[in-house]
Amino acid sequence: MSFWWRRAIVSSVVGVLFAFLLVFMLRAIFGLDPLWQGNVVATVAGLFGGIGFLYGIGCFDYWLTWAKGRPISSEDHSFHGVSNWKQYFRINTDHKVIGIQYMTMTLFFMVVGGIMALLIRTELAAPGQQIVDGQTYNGLLSMHATLMIFVFAVPVFGGIANYVLPIMLGAKDMAFPRLNALSFWFLPVSGFLFLASMFTGMFGAAWTAYPPLASQGTAGQTLFELGVQFAGASSIATAINFLATIITMRAPGMTIWRMPILAWATGVTSVLAVFATPFIAGSQFLTMFDRVMGTNFFVPDQGGDVIMYQHIFWFYSHPAVYIMLLPGFGIISEVIATFARKPLFGYRAMAFSMVAIAVLGFGVWAHHMFVSGMAAWLRVPMMITTIIIAVPTGVKMFSWVATLWRGKIHMKAPMLWAMGFLFTFLIGGLSGVFNGIVPADIQLSDTYFITAHLHYVLYGGSVYTVFAGIYYWFPKATGRMLNERLSQWHFWLTFIGTQITFMPMHWQGLQGMPRRVVDYDPRFATVNAIETIGSYMLGIATIIFIYNVVISLRKGDPAPWNPWRGRTLEWMVSSPPPLFNFDVIPQVVGGPYQYGIPDARHAVVFAPEKFGGELTEDTRYPVLVVANDTLASQGLIDEIRSRNADGLWSFEFLVPVGDDDRAVAERRLANTLAILAGYGIAATGRVADGEVIAVAGDEGKSRQPYEILVATLPTASSAWMRQDAVDRIRKRSGIATSHFVVRGDDARALTAASALPLTMIVATGAVGADALAAVIMARFDAQPARFTIICPLDLPQPRWGSESSEIRRQAGERMTATINALVSVGVQVQGEVMDDGPATALPLAIDAFGPAQILVAGVNGEAAALADAASAAAGETPVETVNLGAPAGSE
Amino acid sequence: MATTTGHAPAPSHGQDTHGKKHGLNAELIGMLLFIGSEVMLFASLFTAYFFIRYGVSNEVWPPLKQNGEPFELPVMLTGVNTLILVASSFTLWWGEKRLKAGDRKGLIRGLWVTILMGGTFLIIQFNEYAHLGFTPQDRAFSGAFYALTGFHGAHVAVGLIVLCMCLRRVYKNDFTATQHTPLAAGSYYWHFVDIVWVLLFLLVYVI
Repeated sequence: MSFWWRRAIVSSVVGVLFAFLLVFMLRAIFGLDPLWQGNVVATVAGLFGGIGFLYGIGCFDYWLTWAKGRPISSEDHSFHGVSNWKQYFRINTDHKVIGIQYMTMTLFFMVVGGIMALLIRTELAAPGQQIVDGQTYNGLLSMHATLMIFVFAVPVFGGIANYVLPIMLGAKDMAFPRLNALSFWFLPVSGFLFLASMFTGMFGAAWTAYPPLASQGTAGQTLFELGVQFAGASSIATAINFLATIITMRAPGMTIWRMPILAWATGVTSVLAVFATPFIAGSQFLTMFDRVMGTNFFVPDQGGDVIMYQHIFWFYSHPAVYIMLLPGFGIISEVIATFARKPLFGYRAMAFSMVAIAVLGFGVWAHHMFVSGMAAWLRVPMMITTIIIAVPTGVKMFSWVATLWRGKIHMKAPMLWAMGFLFTFLIGGLSGVFNGIVPADIQLSDTYFITAHLHYVLYGGSVYTVFAGIYYWFPKATGRMLNERLSQWHFWLTFIGTQITFMPMHWQGLQGMPRRVVDYDPRFATVNAIETIGSYMLGIATIIFIYNVVISLRKGDPAPWNPWRGRTLEWMVSSPPPLFNFDVIPQVVGGPYQYGIPDARHAVVFAPEKFGGELTEDTRYPVLVVANDTLASQGLIDEIRSRNADGLWSFEFLVPVGDDDRAVAERRLANTLAILAGYGIAATGRVADGEVIAVAGDEGKSRQPYEILVATLPTASSAWMRQDAVDRIRKRSGIATSHFVVRGDDARALTAASALPLTMIVATGAVGADALAAVIMARFDAQPARFTIICPLDLPQPRWGSESSEIRRQAGERMTATINALVSVGVQVQGEVMDDGPATALPLAIDAFGPAQILVAGVNGEAAALADAASAAAGETPVETVNLGAPAGSE
Repeated sequence: MATTTGHAPAPSHGQDTHGKKHGLNAELIGMLLFIGSEVMLFASLFTAYFFIRYGVSNEVWPPLKQNGEPFELPVMLTGVNTLILVASSFTLWWGEKRLKAGDRKGLIRGLWVTILMGGTFLIIQFNEYAHLGFTPQDRAFSGAFYALTGFHGAHVAVGLIVLCMCLRRVYKNDFTATQHTPLAAGSYYWHFVDIVWVLLFLLVYVI
């Protein structure tokens, strides 16, 4: 056990013993009887034990040194970064380590809370009592909700944002790294206090802990109140940290309208957390005083007021719902834009709607209390604000759908979770509006309809979005790809399990089955049994997820820097990122979601000031592009251009040739390099003899590029993919390898937006002749270009007659033959047969294609006539003439 | 936050965080947000107080104790105490102003006076507790009274500790006219504690 943990255990034990001593001494001094008072001891011991633990683990060391006036070094980074997995278990100030600590801790509590849920569902599988008695059942459901809310759903987003937000903003860490560590270590204390209550008698007043129920009960209730205080402190501290980071540490050029939506979401959430969380602290303080000190806040005949608790509690706990949802909205916005390959629809509306949700969220709390006996006049205003809050939420919903509209949707695991979120959260949101209507709510309060609603909201808004985030950033955080097949299993089991478990609860609630009760009417037996099966599916899905994480961490595929082709800053650094994220802080020059906009940049990298501060981007990391059939295709060229827009990569082409013609491959490669050079993209390449897997795998191994990109035709028509080339290259080289698919049409078509000069070939009789193909090939080898063959026919009248048709058909066949001959050797060419004679057709063609050069190829003396027509039409364009001798097919 | 020393530049995690000499830096923004959440904590306690005051009791105000006598609060004495606390805010402000003018001795004087006034406030408040004639266990009003004044007293105590740490740093010559973020943060906190007390005095004692 490490020094830190030994110190933590010693000092928490000292704290607890000191608390016992203090309580006994004070009670003895003031003559209180009895000396042993469980609630009092639990409160003081929990407090001092918790603080002792935080001290022991090292959270306060730096500040205490400062307070003592000893010298400190603000540049002390000894608690930054990790070199082995054991260091994740001690205090650390690196936001990336803290993010992973957060995620692990909160997911651990999610699993524990999930086990409680499975116990609850097992108990409810049949009417009557199965495995637990009523008191234990109350404890289980209270513990389930408490763990899920206070130490999973609220802090888990702190984990994700801790990891990615500073990188997204272009910062080297959070604003207050030590405060960040402290806010993490509050969580284990909080969770420990909750779990410790199992040994002092479980608290059974649900997570809402309404007095007077919460004023009674065992010392476990006191531990709950204390645990909430620690979780709240964590929440406030981390929220302050996020806000200070967002306000002061954005990269140059990162205006608030260039921030990723996740930064907006985290900022808005943090404002909620800072200003709402003190209310739950207040409410738990008051209950604690009633329990421990014997005050009368909630004793009506002493002037106390139990409704007051609910007001204070919900003034936090309703905004807390948005604390559990808004960061998820941010994650979903990132994921949907990336996987639909489209700019996020309504960026500003997205940002403003989150602000609106946060503001309105402070004005709806009493809709939880319609049946509580509160002041009746509050009902209608709260109903109206509750319904209004559906408007900004609807803005977000429609913006996501509009982002998907006509996008190129890639259904990878993160996107699946995003889709699951849209579906599940939509149902939860709509039933929420339903609940918000006073008469409906009076009917539905404390029934399973509420249970269904809140699980749809929190499963959709928290669980699905958290998993979307985990699947999205796992490669970035660990440098390993998750197994996609297991990921899909995890999603589909969870998705179907969610619907089976919670969908029927709507019906149960409408039929009047009350929530939080251990037994129920036998007529609900079947539907409860089905829900229990659904919940077991959720359990199995979680096991699959854990298994997937474990095996992927151990031997998952290496992740490239940017596996999803995202645009935000975290994708501009390695996976996992370097210790301080950026060697040079990037300069942000555009929005974060410009997918599909050629050459659009989110950020560029400047040299440091001391080297002149000029835009350099001279550090280019090599990407090995393996391609043959797809070289020079529109699809591949576009992909290279979009990757080049990251400003990070240089491209090295590797063209493995087996039995195919080496000259063809060389011609294609030359063509590709020329096209890329036309776009200002520096690329190199070579043709290598040998089988693709061996050649590319070994090249990857020896060259160590940052990524290997294998471009092939679709799997069905690709010889490489039939040998499973991508996976085998990845295994052989050990380098992150991704696959890019070029459609067959794209691979053969002329590169439309090519920067290469266009040469127009004018020929009639020569079309179809081997000599013409040879001439074009020779010209291509001399200087890569693209070619258009124009065949202007002098047709006899009438043009619709059978003679004309026959001439046209033959010319078309000859044209096809020439084009096929050229394409098969790697020359990009297209052709057109035109009806009118050269004098009419050529001006039209030149106007349409705008060639850089015209080459007239004639046979048997027709060249001169064609050349005259071409020269007449060409204007400034240079015209050349070649005579090819005998016409096609004449020999 | 206490992550900076006086003379050393703050941690270089940020970029432009510390470039500006007089503007808000991350530490002060953090302190302001923390104060925001403290304001909300007091808001929750005031909510409880007003629910108890107006929500339940239809009796006359002040309500009656368990023994049948009305709660009485020493408005005059506390009024004087309020003046002491408010004055301490001004002495601290004066001290900071002296520091910005380069007068370290002035800051030391200002801090000492502030700390002594804050201590006096706490002593008078404890004395008041001892002579009030009711305990927190009396009716709900007394609970709310002790919760509000007790939380405030705890905040004054924390503020005093912060100011004492600052004083020590001043003696070690750690603060300069342009580099004194911890002192600025501490003084924000002290002003906040004072303003809350003025509210508390008006809402609980006077009306």
